[in-house]
Amino acid sequence: MTNASLGTLKVEIWRGAEEGDFETFEVPSQPSQTVLDLVTYVQRKLDPSLAYRFACRVGVCGSCAMTVNGTPRWTCRTHVQKVASSGRVRIEPLRNLPILKDLATDMAPFFDKGQEALGRFVPSDARASEVATIPPDDPKRKEANAAIECIGCGVCYSACDVVSWQPDYLGPAALNRAWTLVNDVRDGDRQGHLKAVAEDAGCHACHGHQNCVEHCPVGLNPTRSIAGLKRLVVMAALKGEL
Amino acid sequence: MSGLERHQTDLLILGSGGAGLLAALHAHDKDPSLEITIAVKGLLGKSGCTRMVQGGYNVALAPGDSLQRHFMDTIEGGKWLNHQELAWRLVEGAVERIVELENRWGCFFDRNPDGRLHFKAFAGQTVDRTVHKGDLTGIEIINRLAEQVWARGIKRMEEHRAIALIPSRDGQRLSGVLMLDIRTGEFRFVAAKAVLLATGGGPTMYLYHTPSGDKSCDGLAMALRAGLKLRDMEMVQFHPTGLIAGKDTRITGTIIEEGLRGAGGHILDGSGERFMHKYDPRNERATRDIVSRGMYDQMKAGRTGPNGGVFITMKHLDPAMVRKQFKGMVTRCADVGFDLVSGNVEVVPTAHYMMGGVEYALDCRTSLPGLFAAGEDTGGVHGANRLGGNGVANSTVYGGIAGEAMAAFAKSDGGIVAPDEAAIEAAVADTMRPFSRKSGDLNALRERLYKLMWDDVGIIRSEESLKRGEKALDDLAAELAETGLPQTTRAFNLTWADWLSLDSLILTSRAIAAAALRRDDSRGAHYRSDFPETGSLEKSENTVVTLEGNRIAVTTTPVAFTRVRPGQTLA
Repeated sequence: MTNASLGTLKVEIWRGAEEGDFETFEVPSQPSQTVLDLVTYVQRKLDPSLAYRFACRVGVCGSCAMTVNGTPRWTCRTHVQKVASSGRVRIEPLRNLPILKDLATDMAPFFDKGQEALGRFVPSDARASEVATIPPDDPKRKEANAAIECIGCGVCYSACDVVSWQPDYLGPAALNRAWTLVNDVRDGDRQGHLKAVAEDAGCHACHGHQNCVEHCPVGLNPTRSIAGLKRLVVMAALKGEL
Repeated sequence: MSGLERHQTDLLILGSGGAGLLAALHAHDKDPSLEITIAVKGLLGKSGCTRMVQGGYNVALAPGDSLQRHFMDTIEGGKWLNHQELAWRLVEGAVERIVELENRWGCFFDRNPDGRLHFKAFAGQTVDRTVHKGDLTGIEIINRLAEQVWARGIKRMEEHRAIALIPSRDGQRLSGVLMLDIRTGEFRFVAAKAVLLATGGGPTMYLYHTPSGDKSCDGLAMALRAGLKLRDMEMVQFHPTGLIAGKDTRITGTIIEEGLRGAGGHILDGSGERFMHKYDPRNERATRDIVSRGMYDQMKAGRTGPNGGVFITMKHLDPAMVRKQFKGMVTRCADVGFDLVSGNVEVVPTAHYMMGGVEYALDCRTSLPGLFAAGEDTGGVHGANRLGGNGVANSTVYGGIAGEAMAAFAKSDGGIVAPDEAAIEAAVADTMRPFSRKSGDLNALRERLYKLMWDDVGIIRSEESLKRGEKALDDLAAELAETGLPQTTRAFNLTWADWLSLDSLILTSRAIAAAALRRDDSRGAHYRSDFPETGSLEKSENTVVTLEGNRIAVTTTPVAFTRVRPGQTLA
C-alpha cells in the first residue's frame, strides 16, 4: 500500500566512521514503519553503500540499536511516529562504542566487559544428574529473574554517562548480569563475581543517574541491580572476604 | 590464489546458534588444546534462529512421560518420514542436554511452585513436555552459551560470511572454507581439520517468513554445490499467524504466537467474518497446516484486509487476560502500531522452518570427509513436520554431538590438507561477478522470488504451479547472474550481501521446487492440490536432491523403519 498522503520524512544518517558527517535522505512515510525500515529503505533504494547491522527484526537479538534523534533505541521495534520530530529523524551509531562504518559499531568492548565482570555462570555441581529444585518465589530467584532478560543490545551502555567519563567502567549490562549470578544459588563462585565488580571500574563507579533504566528497551532496572551489588560488596569487604 | 589471506585452525564452526555454540563448547571440553574458530555472518550469538525460540524445548522428563512417547509423537508428527535413528538420538539426547544447559552452562528454565521444572503443553504432544523460559526461551539459551564461549578463548570471526566449501586438491575430503570478511570486503581462506555446517536453514525465500532477517540458506546452497545430498527439501513448515504491516517493512512475517488461537482468538476475513469453521470443526484451534491453508484459501479468494492478509482478534476476550497472558505479543504489536487487545491485527501464514536438509550420520558426519553438519542445515530428524519444541532440541543435541565427533576426528583422521586452488579461484570469481556487470534492480528480483515461491511453491502446490515455479526460478537465476552492483566500497557492503543471499536462496528454492514436484502425495507440511491424499505410509519414501552440474536431480529412497513401522507404536 502506498500512502502518498503521508508525505516524506527527512532522514539524516551518519556516514563515515569516527570522522564523518550527516547525509540527508528523503524517505516516503508508511503507516507501519520502524526506524530500521527507514535505514533499510535508504540502503535498498537510495544509497546501496550504507552500512548498518540488524538480524532478527523483532527485538530479540539486540543487533540493531542506534542513536535516534539523540536517544539510544532498538530500531526494529521503534515506530517512526514515536520519534520523528517535525518529519525529521536523525540516526547515528550508538555512543560509547567504536564506529566501524556508518551506523555499525564494534560491540566487542561491550561483551569484553561482560567477561571482566565475570558475567558467566560458574557451576557448583556441573555433573549433577538432575535440575536443581528452586521454587520460583525464592527471594534470590526472584531477584535473578527480574534482571535476567537482557538482550545485550548495548543501549544502556550507550546511554550511560559514566561509561563516557570513565571508559574502563564495566557498565550497566555487565553489572546487571553479575547481579543475576550472585543471586543464582546454583553458582559456585559468588566471591569471584563480587571481586570482579568490586574494583574502581566496577559497581561503585555507578552514580545512579538511571539513564540505563530510562532507556532499556525490555524494561530492566540495572541501577537497582548495581545498588544490590554495592551492598553485597560492602558487606563482603567488611567480613574480609574480598 | 595470490593475494588471498590464509588462515588455519583445528576446528572451524560455521554459525553461532544453538548448534554452533554447543559444538564449540563440547569440542573444547573434549580437547582443550584444539584451536576452535566460530565464524558467523553477524555477531556471535546474535545471528540465527535459536535465539528467536519462543516456545521451548521438548524433553521427556515430566512425570508419566518417556523417551518412547516423545519419540512416537515426533514420528507421528513427522508423518513417518523421519530418520528413526536420528529421531531416537534426539529424544535421548534432549534429556542429557537440558540438564547440562542448567547445571553446566547456567540456563534457568521456568519452575513449578514446588521448584521442579515446568512443562508446558504444546501442539501435537501426548504429554506436556516443553521446558521453557517464559516465551523467550531462546534468548536464555543463547546468552548463557555465548558467554561461556566468550570465556574460553574460542576464536571469533564475526561478520564473516561463508562463501564456499573448498575440497582438498585430490577432491577426497574437505580442506576448508572460503570466507568473506564483511567488514573489509576481503576474502579469507580458512583451512581446518574439521568443519561444522551449522548456519541454520530458514525459508526466507517466501513472501512472508519468520526467521531472522539475515538468514539466507547459505549452508544449504554451499552443501549442494559441494555435492552433498539434501533430503525432504519439499517440507517447509508454515506458521498460521505472521504480522503483515505493509510495504517496505521488515517486521512483516514475524510470528504472532500460536497461543492466541489456543486462548480463544478468532481469525476473520477482510469483512470481519470468521471462516475457519468451513475448514475444520476445531475452528481456529485446528493444526498449523490446516489453519494456514484455510487462511491462504481466503486470501486467494480476495477476502482480505488492506495489506492482503486476514485478521486475528482477541477483542471479544477479557482484555486483562490478554494483556497478562500475552504481554510480549501485546507490546510487540503496540511498538509497531497495532492494538492486539482491542483491535484487529492483520496476519498471514508465514514460512517458518525447513524440515529438510543435508543427509548426515548419527555422529553428524556427512558424506564429505571433514565436513560435519547439525541443526536446521540437516534433514531427517523431523520428517514431514516438526513439532514445536523439537527445533531447539535438535540444534543443541546435535551441536554437542558434532563438537565431540569433530574433536575426535581432528585427532584420528584430521589434518590440514592443501585446498583445490582452482575451486577457490572459481568461488572468488563467482562472488566478485556482480562488480563486473551492469548494476540492476536487486529489489525487484527479490520481490519476484518472494512472490513466485509464495504463489507456486508455497502452502498449496500442484504439478502445474511447481513447473511454473521451476521455470521462473531458472529465469531468475539467469537474470541474477547478469545483474551487477554499483562500484562502491566493498567494506560492509550490505547490497553485495543482498546479492549473495539471493543467489543462495534461488538455488535452495530450486531444490524445494524439485523435491515438491517429485512428492506426489500430501503429508505434513507438503500439500498438493492434485494429490490431496496421503499415500501409503508403509511405502513412504524420502526425496533426495543433488546438484548435477547446473541441474537439480531428484531421487527417492524408501524410509527405513528401523524402530517402528506404521501402525505400530513403542509407547
